[in-house]
Amino acid sequence: MMIQTSTKLNSKFSFNVSLARRNLLEDIPRFLVAQAGIMFAVSLVTIQTGLQKGFTLSASKLIDQSRADIWVTAKNQVHLGLTTPLNLQQKKDAESVSGVRRAEGLIIQGAIWRTRGNSLSSVTLVGFDPNGTLFIPGTLQQGQLDTLTIPYTVFADLGSLPTLSLRKLGDGGLVGSLPAKLVGVTEGSQSLVLGNLLFTSLETATAYSQSPVTTKLPCEYAVEGLDCQAESGDYPLKPQPLTNENNINFILIESQPNQDLSDLRRRLESVLPNTRAYTREEMSQLTQSYWEKRSGIGYILGLGAVVGVVVGVVIVGQILYSSVSDHLKEFGTLKAMGASDWVLYRVILEQALWMGGLGYIPGMVLCAITASWTTATQGILILITPASAVTVLGITLLMCFTSAVFAIQKVTRVDPAIVFKE
Amino acid sequence: MTTCKALESNTSSMIHRDHSHINLDHQPGLQLSQPAVKVENVHLDVQSGQQYLSILRGINWIIQPGNIQLLMGPSGSGKTCLLTILAGLLSPTRGKVYLLGQDITLMNRTQLAQFRLHHIGFIFQDFNLFPALTAAENIAIALQNKGVRGQLAQCEIQSLLERVGLEQQGHLKPRHLSGGQKQRVAIARALAGSPQLIMADEPTAALDSRSGHLVMELLRKLAKENGATVLMVTHDPRILDLADEVAHLEDGLLKAG
Ligand SMILES: Nc1ncnc2c1ncn2[C@@H]1O[C@H](COP(=O)(O)OP(=O)(O)O)[C@@H](O)[C@H]1O
Ligand SMILES: [Mg+2]
Repeated sequence: MMIQTSTKLNSKFSFNVSLARRNLLEDIPRFLVAQAGIMFAVSLVTIQTGLQKGFTLSASKLIDQSRADIWVTAKNQVHLGLTTPLNLQQKKDAESVSGVRRAEGLIIQGAIWRTRGNSLSSVTLVGFDPNGTLFIPGTLQQGQLDTLTIPYTVFADLGSLPTLSLRKLGDGGLVGSLPAKLVGVTEGSQSLVLGNLLFTSLETATAYSQSPVTTKLPCEYAVEGLDCQAESGDYPLKPQPLTNENNINFILIESQPNQDLSDLRRRLESVLPNTRAYTREEMSQLTQSYWEKRSGIGYILGLGAVVGVVVGVVIVGQILYSSVSDHLKEFGTLKAMGASDWVLYRVILEQALWMGGLGYIPGMVLCAITASWTTATQGILILITPASAVTVLGITLLMCFTSAVFAIQKVTRVDPAIVFKE
Repeated sequence: MTTCKALESNTSSMIHRDHSHINLDHQPGLQLSQPAVKVENVHLDVQSGQQYLSILRGINWIIQPGNIQLLMGPSGSGKTCLLTILAGLLSPTRGKVYLLGQDITLMNRTQLAQFRLHHIGFIFQDFNLFPALTAAENIAIALQNKGVRGQLAQCEIQSLLERVGLEQQGHLKPRHLSGGQKQRVAIARALAGSPQLIMADEPTAALDSRSGHLVMELLRKLAKENGATVLMVTHDPRILDLADEVAHLEDGLLKAG
């Protein structure tokens, strides 16, 4: 009989009794409201910081994936899309600097894209040397790099195809008044900052940038009500060959092996007046910190994350406080029984910890789904790394502990003498 | 796995405190060296609105160890106030309270909590069980607070549930227990860790007279087994037969017998 009862007790009772967990689960609707609140707070923080990270990372993507050791820019360069031009003569000068193995020009410039239906969108032209080695236009999905040597051909990023009304290779549009034909699709080079990227050769990019948008269209593009030039060959069959006077925006440098890069940078800057030479890492850092700090976008996204934390603290705080208010007599009883303040605090902190932990998991799942959906459909990168997931967990727990402070205040004030009052 | 019996013989002094210094069989007339409770000239004045009320006006009282002591008196006479003071939950305006020989009016909040934790078991009118916990867990939490955990706690819970006749109900939450059963769980919780003092305020008020009497009979029996002193506030005359001593509070003063 004794043994029977004993085994029965062992299986049925947990002897490490957690009042916190039991009180939490005693009121399931309130528990779910708390979980939903934490879930959304977690999501808000994760998505905002993920957006910020993804945004700054994608802003420097073209730099990071380049194989250049050094990027030469105009002295007053602000970021990739805002700089005054250099010219090809300077690229040639750079080639002759000792320690330079290879120099390539790069054009990054805004332009207007016109679809066959005559609708407009803004694009960023990225002109580079398709036979070069230093610039990489993302991961190639379709097409061959060297087809870009054909005049008026472009690559576009997978994410911007719908915006540009492009469905397959061979589709086209107009840049200025010149035609553009899609011959390749890249992936993973899109950034919020530069918008829709059109990769092309330096020659074609130069021709595009000098071609004005006109009211006249080649007849194959014409829609009702617009003038049309009967001959679609009203533009030069080939872009003009480039001369030393032609503009580029950046010079990418590959150094000789075992070069001291800071010496090389000094030499480049002295040979090329009014320029700056940055290592790839510096250039990337510069771009990221511009978009993070000077643009205000980093601030806005950071503010969103802070609001998420505040909302979380308020929700968890409110739930904990009302839970404590509902269980005042129990806390009074514990106090009367001689439990130390720490026992009471532990109940509340444990409750906060459970809420935080159990809200974090669905929150992260929600974020993962949202992030992959956003990247797939919007081409916007929301970066959630293991490190950022751990950071958000830390923030969540901190958030819950902060909200526990209000509830602890309330418990501290409970007079155990209430246990004898009706 | 160690059995409860083996554990008990090893650690009985830990669970069941040594009460040899207290005379277990109360013998009236025999002068004891140390009363369980000694109250000297306790006054309690409270402010109610603009005026001061004198609720207790000089209480002198000695409760012998091992006694079942009843405190009776009309409603509003200050019984609960006196009990709250004796439990160390309220400071008297004036006077001294000695529990088990220690002057609790000299103790600070933390010392009082420690004293209650180890020496006083409480029984309340409304049971004050934790509704989210099972009967066994309600007892476990009292032991947990006293630092009794694991196998030792399991054995004591099992033994307490058996002593209050609820060995089959340990897994039930309070809302699935009758009033009498709830108060029996509360008694088991109060006895957990074998404190020398049990304090109860109107423990039968929420029970019908039959189960009230049964539960108090049980309390008397278990307290006697433990050698604990019981101080019980009540205005229920039907449990008078269970008392060793009865005191009356009237007009802020104590009247014996
Ligand atoms: N904190 C207080 N402030 C004002 N009046 C109080 C306070 N505590 C108790 N009283 C009054 O003191 C009297 C005694 O209360 P109580 O000890 O609860 O009586 P009993 O338990 O004997 O019914 C009551 O009239 C009550 O209203
Ligand atoms: Mg009362």
